[in-house]
Amino acid sequence: MKRILYFIFILLLIFIFGKSCIKADIPESNTFSSANAEAEQEIDYPKSPRNITINNIDYLQSQAPCGNYGGELISSIIGEGPKTFNPFTATDATSSEMGSIMYDGLFTTNAVTGNIVPKLAKSYEIKGNDYIITLRHGIKWSDGVPITAEDVLFTWNDIVFAGLGNTSVRDMLIINGKLPTLTKLDDYTVKFTLPTQFAPFLRQLTLPIAPKHYFTQKPDWDKNFDTFLSTTTKPEEIVSSGAFRLKEYVAAQRVVFKKNPNYYEINLKRQRLPYLEKLVFLIVGDFNNEILKFEGGELDVIGLKGGTVALYKGKEAKSDYKIYNLGPDTGTMFAAINMNTRKNKDGKFYVDPVKQRWFNDRNFRAAIDYATDRNNMVINVAQGIGIPLFTAESLNSIYLNKNLKGHSKDINLAESYLKKSGFYKDSNGILHDKYGNTVEFNLYTNAGNTEREAVCVMLKQDLEELGMKVNFKPLEFNSLVNKLTNSYDWDLMVMGLTGSPLEPHSGKNVWYSTGSLHLFNQRPAGKPATDKLNFEKELDDIFDIASLKVNFAERKKYYDRYQEIIYNEKPLIYLYSPIRISAIRRKFGNLFPSSLMGLTYNIEEIFVKNTEETK
Amino acid sequence: MMKQLFKNKLAVVALSILTFLYLIVIFADFIAPYSKNYSDRERAYVPPSQVYTINEYGKISRPYTYNYIREYDPELMQTVYKQDRSHKYRIKLFGRGEKYKFLGLIPTSRHLITAEDGGCLYLLGTDINGRDVFSRLLFGGRISLTIGFLALLVLFPIGLIYGGLSGYFGGVVDTVMMRFAEAVMAIPSFYLLIILAAILPPNMTSTQRLALIVVILALIGWAGFARVVRGMVLSIKTQEFVLAAKTIGAKPFRIIVKHILPQISSYIIVAITLSVPSYILSESGLSFLGLGIQQPDASWGNMLKEAQEFTNILYRPWLLTPGVLIFIAVVSFNIIGDTIRDILDPKKKDT
Repeated sequence: MKRILYFIFILLLIFIFGKSCIKADIPESNTFSSANAEAEQEIDYPKSPRNITINNIDYLQSQAPCGNYGGELISSIIGEGPKTFNPFTATDATSSEMGSIMYDGLFTTNAVTGNIVPKLAKSYEIKGNDYIITLRHGIKWSDGVPITAEDVLFTWNDIVFAGLGNTSVRDMLIINGKLPTLTKLDDYTVKFTLPTQFAPFLRQLTLPIAPKHYFTQKPDWDKNFDTFLSTTTKPEEIVSSGAFRLKEYVAAQRVVFKKNPNYYEINLKRQRLPYLEKLVFLIVGDFNNEILKFEGGELDVIGLKGGTVALYKGKEAKSDYKIYNLGPDTGTMFAAINMNTRKNKDGKFYVDPVKQRWFNDRNFRAAIDYATDRNNMVINVAQGIGIPLFTAESLNSIYLNKNLKGHSKDINLAESYLKKSGFYKDSNGILHDKYGNTVEFNLYTNAGNTEREAVCVMLKQDLEELGMKVNFKPLEFNSLVNKLTNSYDWDLMVMGLTGSPLEPHSGKNVWYSTGSLHLFNQRPAGKPATDKLNFEKELDDIFDIASLKVNFAERKKYYDRYQEIIYNEKPLIYLYSPIRISAIRRKFGNLFPSSLMGLTYNIEEIFVKNTEETK
Repeated sequence: MMKQLFKNKLAVVALSILTFLYLIVIFADFIAPYSKNYSDRERAYVPPSQVYTINEYGKISRPYTYNYIREYDPELMQTVYKQDRSHKYRIKLFGRGEKYKFLGLIPTSRHLITAEDGGCLYLLGTDINGRDVFSRLLFGGRISLTIGFLALLVLFPIGLIYGGLSGYFGGVVDTVMMRFAEAVMAIPSFYLLIILAAILPPNMTSTQRLALIVVILALIGWAGFARVVRGMVLSIKTQEFVLAAKTIGAKPFRIIVKHILPQISSYIIVAITLSVPSYILSESGLSFLGLGIQQPDASWGNMLKEAQEFTNILYRPWLLTPGVLIFIAVVSFNIIGDTIRDILDPKKKDT
């Protein structure tokens, strides 16, 4: 009996194996169709909010359609959550975002044009080097205390210019070694005086304004500034000016904001904004977790990337969310080449002199550039959700030099560049320089980042096509940063930086020869650059001069030239820029996504539609 | 012992699975259609090639496959692969492919199965860089399946000597040595692994890295083993033959190595088979976190890392195959270990 059972079992196995080998060639039925996709709609942006005075109070009137009151919007934060609620000490993106919800600045950026438009301030006037700023009459902090010139003076003189907290704004405003001065003209007017003309100044006025009476309630407030408004502060005591104020913070779980009843913006019916009762940020561990929460209906809005875009796009028509394409990201990814030719304290070169010759050879860098297959990087690594990048400014920057068109991979051109500099391939296809040295160097990136690792694997293969031997070494992030900022002993590195699409001057720390992030030719901090390369000299001049030009067209000429220099000299080889795609539930009204500001920048105007309207 | 092992049917199945795995891993160069670094730019994340044996007219034909072509749908923002049905590519046995050295000695370019020139044969699809998952599975298995044994080579001598000395001398020596071993055991092993892996010097080649990971794994694992050895030595040293050896005047080290340790060989065999899978899992865990074997080298753990993403599990299930192999290998090792233990120590079976 047992034997028969075995026999049947073995027969069955053979049958299954045989069946799996025999496969009929029947054309696959194509279930895929683009009929489900919704066409991108033109967005009809409302006019910029304008000032209106009712009963001696200077309100800001939103020009967006009126909505309903109530409801909440649930968004998410990836990572550990905010480290502080103090917008002046925040150094990470999450903390700054939380700060900017609670505290408005004097001005803000128009989402469509990128111009500076009033927020807490009513208007501004530029007279030579003087910026006269008029504040709103009768507007109040969340605890009912009026917002006056004292608060502006306090914020700029006692916090920013005094160097408390995060000093990046202060560092940027040191013009020829001098800071601007701020004086009070009356209770609602202040005057900034700059040492010279300085174009990036106006945009710095988007910095939040701090409530003086709240920040200075303790005598030693300036000594304890770094711990002020920490995440353990009781939410009900926090005084803020933004559309929302903090309601609750549960570590590693959520941050909840509730509406500020004293907010100074009103709608067309002259009712106070915001519409939403609550604004919630759930703190999630990683992207996969976030996706599952969105899928489960716990989140209302999510940023999509890679393969998930196609997944959601396919389901969009039958779903309760809409997908918005916000255009290219402000982040850039690039391969940096270490052109450092200096010696360290012990008299040893940071970079091997043989390699120095290659890396300082423009033809060598051009060969790397032309060998790079950006199109396939976009399709394979970014899964089509990206655009090849060739410029130092991000693709949504208002200063983007549109004349730099870029190029596709051209291995023959790359080889001809190498030939020009005397590089040759031996019979085994290995590249040598004109002195006979084998071309071999290291390629680094941060380990654990699947996207960058995949880009590096592709780059390595591209360069090996030229006969170069590339050792790809993923490094733990901190040791990578140490290489960049301290030991300078790297050859080629794939990295990313985030810039501002509105203010190229914020890239000064990268492009200025003594900048703190002058990756490709980093000099130790505090030392003057005596050995500038020719193009470094020109970049320094451009950044010095362009910041003094106030006229946009005039400034743009300089920044066009800087992008052209980077494009020609190729110290950083830009790779691609991902496209930001966001999904948000259809129940929300007044959504005017823009590539400059994102999706929920106008949070005070967003409202929850009635159920009938949603359908 | 072997006879008894072969009587157990489950153990036979497990043993043949493992033999099969080790064989294909050893002959990976020959069996895999591609090398581990071969990459096809135009076909990243392609689904597994379909091999047909009945042609479109319903007749049996020699096995053939179609290539995939990539199309991008801007509406849906999706890359789709469609079969290019204009050209059939026959599957060939012992066809020519990339050059390699068979067993590291004989240069050749013959592979077990390949597609005709111009055809692509991706039996388990490709990964993000367009590398053949099937080929990388075989090359990755080399690391994943051997790392356990390499770790044991380091760990067992330490554990045997340490446990032997401690048990033989007893008293204060024993107390001090065992407290130290317990201190090592008390360290949460996976966290220590992560820390040690993170401080590895960055400028290492992958072979050096592999060796260091092996050492790290061994340095954590020896303590538990040494404790068991010490317990066994304690009981064996009271037996008459040890006393006899002592009276002849043999040195303690000789007594431990020659007379006592051979008595516990059965335990050692069981311990080896049962600890190999835990090292396979440790390596996979480390590589999964990006701290073990790193790109572009392959190991089952770092291949599985790619399947971590939500959409990859949904759309590209072939990326999960390293996980299936880890599962099979670990279960097989455990079955064999259990069986050997039952055979060597029949009393334990009842408890």
